Order: sequence, then C-alpha cells, then structure tokens
Amino acid sequence: MAARPEAVPVRPPLWRNVRFRRVVGQVLFVLVVLAVLREMYLNLEFGVRRQGIDLSFDFLRTQAGFPLKESVLSYSPADSTLRAFQAGVVNTLVVAGPGILLATVLGLVVGVARLSPNWLLRKLAQVYVEAVRNTPVLLQIIFWYSAVILTLPVIGGGSLAGVAFLSNRGAAVPWPVTGPGAGLWALVLLGALLVAGAVWRARTALNERTGRPHHRVLWSVWVFVGISGVGYVLLGGPVSIDAPELAGRRYTGGVQVSGEYAAVLLGLVVYTAAFIAEIVRGSILAVPKGQKEAAEALGLSPFQQLRFVVLPQALRIAIPPVNSQYLNLTKNSSLALAVAYPDVVAVGNTIINQKGRAFQVLALLMGTFLAASLFISVVMNVLNLLVTRRGTLR
Amino acid sequence: VSERFPDQVELADLEDRAVVETAPAAVPTTPGEWVRANLFSGPVNSVVTVAVAALAGWLAWGLLHWVFVTADWRVFKVNLASYMLGRFPRAEVWRVWASLYFVVTLAGLSWGASGKRLDWRPARAVGRAVGAVVGVLLLLWLLESTGIWVLIGVATALFAAGTAVGRWAGRRLRRPLLVAWIAAFPVVVMVLQVAGGVKPALWGGFLLNVLVAWVAIFASFPIGVLLAVGRRSSLQAISKASVAFIELIRGVPLFTLLLFGFYVVTLILPPGLGVPTLIRLMIMFTVFSAAYVAEIVRGGLQGVPEGQYEAARALGLPARKMFRLVILPQALRSTIPAMIGHFISLFKDTSLLAIVAGFVDLLRSARRAPAGLEFIGDLKEALLPAAVIFWIVAFSMSRWSQRLERRVGLGER
Repeated sequence: MAARPEAVPVRPPLWRNVRFRRVVGQVLFVLVVLAVLREMYLNLEFGVRRQGIDLSFDFLRTQAGFPLKESVLSYSPADSTLRAFQAGVVNTLVVAGPGILLATVLGLVVGVARLSPNWLLRKLAQVYVEAVRNTPVLLQIIFWYSAVILTLPVIGGGSLAGVAFLSNRGAAVPWPVTGPGAGLWALVLLGALLVAGAVWRARTALNERTGRPHHRVLWSVWVFVGISGVGYVLLGGPVSIDAPELAGRRYTGGVQVSGEYAAVLLGLVVYTAAFIAEIVRGSILAVPKGQKEAAEALGLSPFQQLRFVVLPQALRIAIPPVNSQYLNLTKNSSLALAVAYPDVVAVGNTIINQKGRAFQVLALLMGTFLAASLFISVVMNVLNLLVTRRGTLR
Repeated sequence: VSERFPDQVELADLEDRAVVETAPAAVPTTPGEWVRANLFSGPVNSVVTVAVAALAGWLAWGLLHWVFVTADWRVFKVNLASYMLGRFPRAEVWRVWASLYFVVTLAGLSWGASGKRLDWRPARAVGRAVGAVVGVLLLLWLLESTGIWVLIGVATALFAAGTAVGRWAGRRLRRPLLVAWIAAFPVVVMVLQVAGGVKPALWGGFLLNVLVAWVAIFASFPIGVLLAVGRRSSLQAISKASVAFIELIRGVPLFTLLLFGFYVVTLILPPGLGVPTLIRLMIMFTVFSAAYVAEIVRGGLQGVPEGQYEAARALGLPARKMFRLVILPQALRSTIPAMIGHFISLFKDTSLLAIVAGFVDLLRSARRAPAGLEFIGDLKEALLPAAVIFWIVAFSMSRWSQRLERRVGLGER
C-alpha cells in the first residue's frame, strides 16, 4: 500500500470544528445579548427624555418634600430624597429583623407541636399550618390591619393588665430605658458572661475528670445573675423599665408601635412561621430512625436523645430551606405598601409618583434587596459551616 | 386502620416509647386504647390535652358563633359578581361562560381519556358525599336566580359529556388534547376580546387571578427549563448569563418586578408598541416564575446520574435529543412536588395585582366590597370569603400534587 498524498489527514473545515463552534457560538450569544440590552437602553433613554427627565441619580439630592407616616431614622419633608430612601430602608429592616426572629420561634414551637405525641395538639398545629400556608400573605396582612387592628378600641380603651395598651392606632408596651452608668453596666454584663463561660468550662472539665454531676447550666446561670445583679445595685440602677401612660389623646413613655407596623409584622410572622414549622417537622423526620434507636440503646433519656442526637442533625438539614424562608420574609415585607407602612418599597413608590425616575428608583430598590439577600445568605452559610463542622468533628 | 390515622404509622418512631416498644407498626385498635395512647398517655400529655382542648374549644366556639350568628354575610352575597369578575361589564358575561364551557369540556375530555375512575371505597365516598352536600347547600344559599343554575347545569353536562367521549376515545386523544390545552389560553383570551369584547384593563376578580396564574404557569415552564439547562451548560457565556438572570430575579421581591413592568417595560420596548398594562404584568409574572422553575428543574437535573448522560452520548444522540428523550423526563418527574408547590404560591401571588394601580382582582374586590354605607365595617365578612376561595384552590392543588406523587411512585425508587 503506497502512501498516497491524499491520505494525509485533512483538517476538517473550520465550521465542523467543535472548539471553533463553541467559541463562535458564545461570541454570537454575547453579541446578541449586548445588542438587545443596548437597544433597550437606547429606547429607555429616548422614552425618558421625551418625558423631560434623565437617567442620572441627581434627583436623590433634591428635597424630598413628602412626609413619612413613621420613621425610625429622624426625617422631615425638608430632608433630601436620599434620606427618605434611607429612612425606608431602616423601616424595612425594623420589620424584617424582628420578623425573622419571631417567625423562627413560632415556627419551632408549631413544628415541634406537629410531632407531639398528643393527637389534639398535633391536629391544632396542622390546622394552623394548612390554613395559613394556603392563603396569600398579602390578604393576611390586609386582614390583620383592617379586620383586626382597626377594629380595636380607640385610644385609651384596651389595656393589658394596665402595663401595655392596645388601640386601633397601634400598641404601647413597656420598654427599658438607659440611665447614667448604663455603658458601665453593659461592660459588667459582658464580664459576667465571660466568667459564666469559664465556670461552664470548669464544671464540664470537672465532670470529665471525676464523673461527678456538673450542673453547669445551674452554675453558670447563678454566676451570671449574681455578678450582673451586684453590678446593677452598685451602679444605682442604670436601666429602668418605662411604662407607657395615657396622656390625653396619645401615650407617652414605653415604646409605641403603630398599627401599620403591627399588621405587617403579624402578617409576615404568622405566614412565615407556618412554612418554618413544616421545615422543622420535615427535618426532624428526616433524621434516620437508626440514630434515635442507637441513642436509646446508649441509654440516653428522651431529652438527651433529642438534644444531642436528633436536633443537631435536623438543624443541618433545616438551614438551607430556612434561609430561603428568611429571604422570602424580607422580600414579602415589600407588601407593607398595602397598609401604608412606609417601608423601602412604599417610599420608592412615593418617590416615583413625585419625581418620575422610575428606572433609577427601581434599580435602587432591587439593589437594596439583592444586598439584603446576599447578607442573609452569607450569615446563614457561616452558620451552616459552623453547624456542619461541629457535627463532623465530634 | 392506617387509612383513619395516617399520621400514626409515619410518626410511630417519634411517639411515646411505650407505643414503640409494644408494637412498632401496630396502631391501637379500640377507641379507648387509642384515646389513652394519643391523649392521656402520661401526666404531661393529659395536662396538654386538657389545655389544648380548652383553647381549641374556645376558638372553635368563637368562630362558629361568629360565622353562623354574628356575621353579616350579605356583603359577600351582594358583591358575588364583583368577587368573580371585578369590573367586567355584566352585559358581556356570556363571554366568560363560553370560556368556562370550553375549559370544562376540555377538562372532561382529559379526565375521561386518562381512564381514571373515582375511588368509591366507603371512606372516600362518604367524604365526597358530605363535601357535595355542603357545596350545594352553600351555592343554594349564595345563588338565588334560577338562570345561573341553568348555566351551571350546562357546565356540569358538558363535563359529563366530555368524560364520556374521552373514555370512549381513550388514549388516542392524548396528543390532540395536549395541543388543545396549549391553545386554550389564546382561545379564551380571544373569546373575551373579539368582536367588541372586553379590554384586558377591565378583566377582574377571580377570573383575573386565574388568567394571570394560568399564563404565567404555562409560559414560565418552557423558559424555566431552558434557563436550567443553560445554567448547567459548559459554555461559560450561556451559563453565566443564566445564573445572572436567575439570581437577579430571585433576589428581588415580586412586587418590585411588577412595578418594573408597570413603569419601565413600556420605555425599554420599541416606542409606539403600546403593550397593555395587564400584558406587561403577565410578562413580569412569567419572568418571575421562570427563574424559580429554573431552580427547581436544576435540582431535578442534578438528580439524574452522570451515567444517563454518558449512555445517551454513547448512543450517538445529539444534545437536543439527549435532553428531550433521556434527561428531562427523568429530571422533571422528580420535581413534581416542588413544581406544584411553586405554582400554588404563584397563584397566591397573583393577589399582588390588588396593590398595583388599576386592577381589581379577587382581593381588591373583597377589600372594596364594604365600601357602600350599608356594609361599612364588614371587613371580616368581606375578606374571609376571598381567603376561602384562595384556600380552596391552593389546598386542592396540593392534594392533587400528593396524589400525583404517589402515582408516579416518587420516593419509592
């Protein structure tokens, strides 16, 4: 067989080359995406200019000119638009933070109740979950606001044992206020915490060395209470509880919560807790049966089985889905608009109505929520890392 | 017995140790034993039972007393048409009925062609009978004109006829039915609009929620699948773009997306296109849903073993056929529960239309119902029926999902 010159391997044509096709395909894709985005931007610029406005963010420095129903940050209509937006961000955080905390607590309680050996409790928890999960959260917020809170007695009417007050304008509850020496007492508390931790370690070590009961919870709690109590007395009572009082048509003292805020918080907490409860229940059920049986075989008490074997493993399963519930709660706080609570979206909507610039305001809003999502995810990932590492090391 | 106490079997290992030790799988048989095991197994349990019974009794009594004695339901009864249709012109209501008949016939055909039959075991039959009686009584109380009963009768007859035809034709109908279902939405939109019909801006009430959820579900599914496949693509440009899109959409509240659709989408589209607001909002609902569908499908794709890809490639299947014939059927089957869960929440999210200017969906109708002097302050009575309607749809979807899961044998292989 004589070698013919034609038999030298011919390179396939370029358009048949897989690597070439991949590169060209991606370049084409990117070009098309960029072209579409550019077209959209040009349309946007044209449309905006026709309305007589621009795409700059300068309007943030102009005077806002509209009042906010409530704001944690000090704010007046004379402040800048940016300040109004910031006040909205803070108002959102004030809902989302406590909301996450309360939803977790309620969700845990209901989730555990769903697994109770008591049939009645189990069914009651199930009714709660099924009723709440299957109706829109927006409807629930509106219901809390207009069907519950607005039907409460007028100011001066309802009181809970004379210390807290409920009315159709919101609630007033006792709240600690700091006096002179509070900073010093905070240091004392920190010190007490450190000492209590040391005592905990020492008791554990004693138990491991000698086998005597450690009673470390009791020991640490008493040490903490003792030190902080002595500090409190020595500093002459740096923190006192301020109870609200009725003064004419409004309450003074304590902390006042508006009806709008209460409705949003209640709605979000009750709704999200139902989902968290299902996650808690599912995670506990997902721990393999053998784990519990093994713990029982080792002679652990039911509480110990739960505390040292089942819950640590369930926690690991629960963290990712709970994280997404926290994100949902934060995003759902945007529904505050429905009851006129000035969260960041409601403020943004007002800015759009007052100044146009919908594109910039929405870009800001989305950026804010993306940042919040990112922050919560990072916190939860760190927590996840801690939990999984602890689980594998021990 | 496990039929009556389904929780028991599943929870046996978490119940009292007494139950586990005596007989792990067995469920107490006599009512007395059952009560002792589930309500009074120990001092703590007994106290809990008494406390919870008191609380539940108090709540139930309060609720029942309110529902049957105190509450004034006229606000719902008088405004029933608004709950269903919002500001839809009443003279054009025949268009809604025509659409309903079309969909009901299709549903009957599908039901018949699927070859399923109702399960007439006593427990199910009794449950169904009670449900039917309550439903009919409720409707009797709610609907007073005879005309509407004729219209409902026609719908029922169409469903029955569809079932009969479907059963007779059997599986031959599968493909035509699929096409018909895909075409159903455009057909309904046409019936509502053509020949001097009703502008989208006037669609409202429950009808609006259903239409928006429907289009978002059907349109977001293919887009979501494409995004999920794109996200797992080895082509960096495509996977990066998919990730960016999915994460952007999932990171922001739906309401800001709706505001984007309301204010900005007209501006970024070519000028003079004049897309109605409702269509823009439907686009945003679809985009929102697609990002979540993509994440669900990605989960399903990750569950398909690598060997399946390799086998498909070894058979010489091109990428498109590999996904269509080998990968996606397996991936999608495992996503059924998550997918239906997402569609349920999407349906609930259509209530956000209530806070977008100019739309009167079910929730907005309910909120506006007590506006008249006659019903002032009847907000509970106005909002609760809307909640119940949402609840019925969402709850039956979740039940349907559970049945579907069992049928495809999910979690058993």
